[in-house]
Amino acid sequence: MSRETEFDNILNECLERLLLGGETVEQCLRSYPGEAAELEPLLRTTVRVEKAAAVVPNAVFKARTKYQLLSALDKPEPGRWQSFIFSLKPRWAAVIVAVLIVLVAGGTGVATAGSSMPDSLLYPVKLATEQLQLKLSPTELGRTELYARLADRRVNEIVYMVEKGDIQQIELTAGRLNGLLAGLADKPGVDNASQGVLMAPEPAEGAMEQPTVAAPRAQGVTEDSPPPDSEAGKVRILLEEYALSQTAAISAAINQAPEEVRPVLKQLVTDLESSYTQVIGTLD
Amino acid sequence: MQDEQCLVQKARDGDKEAFAQLYESHVDKIYRYLVLKTGNKIEAEDMTQQVFLKAFQSISSFKWQGTPFTAWLFRIAHNLMVDYMRHKEKRATLPLDEPIAKSDSNPELMAERKLDMEQVISATERLTELQRGVISLRFTSELSIAEVARVMGKSEGAIKALQHSAIAALRKSLLVGETQ
Repeated sequence: MSRETEFDNILNECLERLLLGGETVEQCLRSYPGEAAELEPLLRTTVRVEKAAAVVPNAVFKARTKYQLLSALDKPEPGRWQSFIFSLKPRWAAVIVAVLIVLVAGGTGVATAGSSMPDSLLYPVKLATEQLQLKLSPTELGRTELYARLADRRVNEIVYMVEKGDIQQIELTAGRLNGLLAGLADKPGVDNASQGVLMAPEPAEGAMEQPTVAAPRAQGVTEDSPPPDSEAGKVRILLEEYALSQTAAISAAINQAPEEVRPVLKQLVTDLESSYTQVIGTLD
Repeated sequence: MQDEQCLVQKARDGDKEAFAQLYESHVDKIYRYLVLKTGNKIEAEDMTQQVFLKAFQSISSFKWQGTPFTAWLFRIAHNLMVDYMRHKEKRATLPLDEPIAKSDSNPELMAERKLDMEQVISATERLTELQRGVISLRFTSELSIAEVARVMGKSEGAIKALQHSAIAALRKSLLVGETQ
């Protein structure tokens, strides 16, 4: 066995003892006095890396992802998975559209806008891309679905800004979400789309006493519901999922949010419920 | 706690509770691996979702023939990372505003750890792709040498050698970073 291989084995044994066995660096070094000088800096670096990397994902993100995964398991047919994938990765969807714009316009800066957050310089590009998406949407059902998907982005952005504690951006993004919800509930045309995507309305006013975290009315398929395998039925199911996950995400964010914006978020939960209930009702 | 093999079998049969338990058991480690690899919280969240989606979509193809479920899951994450790195032209790193370590409420300590995490991420960016993979899997996700070898498709000896060179390179980078 070469000297290098032998040292690799000793290092690995020490790492196992350190990381899994709960031993200290000193204990490991005592076992290998001949290699201690070479081992010590490596072991201390490892301890530092392990300590620094002890990150945990955000609780809202974890809960939301779990909900979405389990919801998707209820409808595992191929079309649903594809739709779910799209709903999971709204930022990527915007990037794809942005890339198309780059190809048409020859620009270069748009492509990275899709993943931008409200405090990013590229965020206006993202919003403009969304407006284009809405304008290009060929059918009313498709536009309805798109409104819901864009609303999902705004929800993600609000959760992100809540984590950062950025009150101004939370209010602005809540205003944008309200615009999208208005478009969604109205079975919108392009004019509403512009309002929902590009304008930054005044922050929602008024506070509700308590957030209503219950799901909207439309749970399950009623006698009047469109067949689940029809286009309208698929959109209906998607809207129900969005309604649940978006209200759950905002409700969960309320407790983490700065005191000043909690009324805005509580009002958003109510608005989400009423908007989705209204639009789902029109599909029945 | 139920045996993982039993959970996987139930998940394969469509048991949602088993899916949920598998998700809860592994999501932190997968996320940690992806944060260190991407250096970007948002990207790591997106990719964590994709890992579990892919895993649950293809769980029926998973077999216990010598491959633990954890290694299989990390293999999916690893493949996604390879794809991500191949297509990412520029790694625009968002500040890690929430590398909050477990159960610490001391703001000073949290700030120190945030700084340390950023230094570690910066240092890992100077490693080779293989070295970074070993560091992520071994020390943030706590996989054994055998598991890392399975995930990366290499021999255990090769992983041990990579582990050695990666830690040495990381130390060098961290020292350089501190003196700058």
